[in-house]
Amino acid sequence: MNRVRGLMRGRVRTVLILVTALYLTACGVNNVVIEGSFPTPNINKLPLNVAVYYDPALTEFAYIEYSETGSEEYNIASGQSHIELFSTVLPAMFDGVVVVESIEEAEALGVDAIFAPIIEEFQLALPAKTKLDVYEIWIKYNMRLMTADGDYIADWVLTSYGKTPSESLRSVEAAINAAAIVALRDLASSFSLSFSQVPEVKDWLNTL
Amino acid sequence: MKHFLRINRLGIALLLLVSLASCTTTTIDEFRQGETGIENNESVVILGRRQASDYETRSEFVECVGEGMTRGENSISIVPEQEFIDAMFPWFEPRTAPLRTRDLERLMTEAVVSQKMTEFGVRYIVWLDGFTETTDRSGSISCTIGPGGAGCFGFGSWEDDANFNARVWDVSSLTNVGTISTDATGQSYLPAFIIPIPLIARVEANACSRLATQLKDFVNGS
Repeated sequence: MNRVRGLMRGRVRTVLILVTALYLTACGVNNVVIEGSFPTPNINKLPLNVAVYYDPALTEFAYIEYSETGSEEYNIASGQSHIELFSTVLPAMFDGVVVVESIEEAEALGVDAIFAPIIEEFQLALPAKTKLDVYEIWIKYNMRLMTADGDYIADWVLTSYGKTPSESLRSVEAAINAAAIVALRDLASSFSLSFSQVPEVKDWLNTL
Repeated sequence: MKHFLRINRLGIALLLLVSLASCTTTTIDEFRQGETGIENNESVVILGRRQASDYETRSEFVECVGEGMTRGENSISIVPEQEFIDAMFPWFEPRTAPLRTRDLERLMTEAVVSQKMTEFGVRYIVWLDGFTETTDRSGSISCTIGPGGAGCFGFGSWEDDANFNARVWDVSSLTNVGTISTDATGQSYLPAFIIPIPLIARVEANACSRLATQLKDFVNGS
């Protein structure tokens, strides 16, 4: 009889530990690090030497999605994937691209222009909240182009959008990653195709 | 013993009835606007439309139709969707992809686009647009677990409706040569007596296979 009681107590303890572990896991934030590869754009290169400055606000960019109760639900780190994207796109757009640690460093290099992108806004739409069968990501950027002396050339806003359908066997994290990659590809396509059409950039290119 | 046999027979009859009921109805509609035909060295690329805000054509369906066209008699060489989009980047992204043949005409003036198109040997671009919707969900299943074992009891059913249309563009003449639409519907059942027995209507798979066959014949000009 005592042996049976001991066995029962042991099982109850195991179940309690498992339930507590599950409860604690459910409370934590889900970290999503955006990962993917990007193709090189097939476009004509501009005969420019450009220095790129990645602000820490971009390289360390992370967005936190809160649940309806106000707790942190998803922490989406997309800074590094943006660097990877620009590292693929910019060399296809310009003759020379150099990454610099500061604007001052770029000024000393005597390049044609300094490019500094930054994320202004990031939005995530989950099917559980929108009642649509798609995960959506919307990102707003501020693109800044300066002369080698740090003077203003252009400062324009670019938005990118990505969505992916919800699928029964795919995790939320994987779906968020897929939607983010579509949004980053959208950024790459609109940025590479519209760069020389931005009025201030167009005017500047005509003076060269 | 007799009672057991009667129950068994009834069970088999019910199962047969349900499996017969869970079949799919597929309708294909073809609208031809121009002559078609394809040489051995030419290929077709099938691309999913992803411009709609509330749905997008699943890449798995696009892949399924492509695979269907590469099989059997008069099979056609298919360029994989992702390979084509990556090679053409950034010209066939959701925001930049041509929506009309007039846009394709303009796009072909880009040397890099026409060069890649020639490299792939693309004669036709097929734009697939559509999705599968699940409606009329009914019934309920409850599962229990206890010291004596576990089991599920109940009955669930739903209807799937797959609606896709394929627009075929001729890259050599830069015209729309036709549209093929497919509409497949089917009822699925999930009876559960201790274990759930899924009787799934293969709606999207049927839509894919019928569309692939029709597209293959269309492109071959038959």
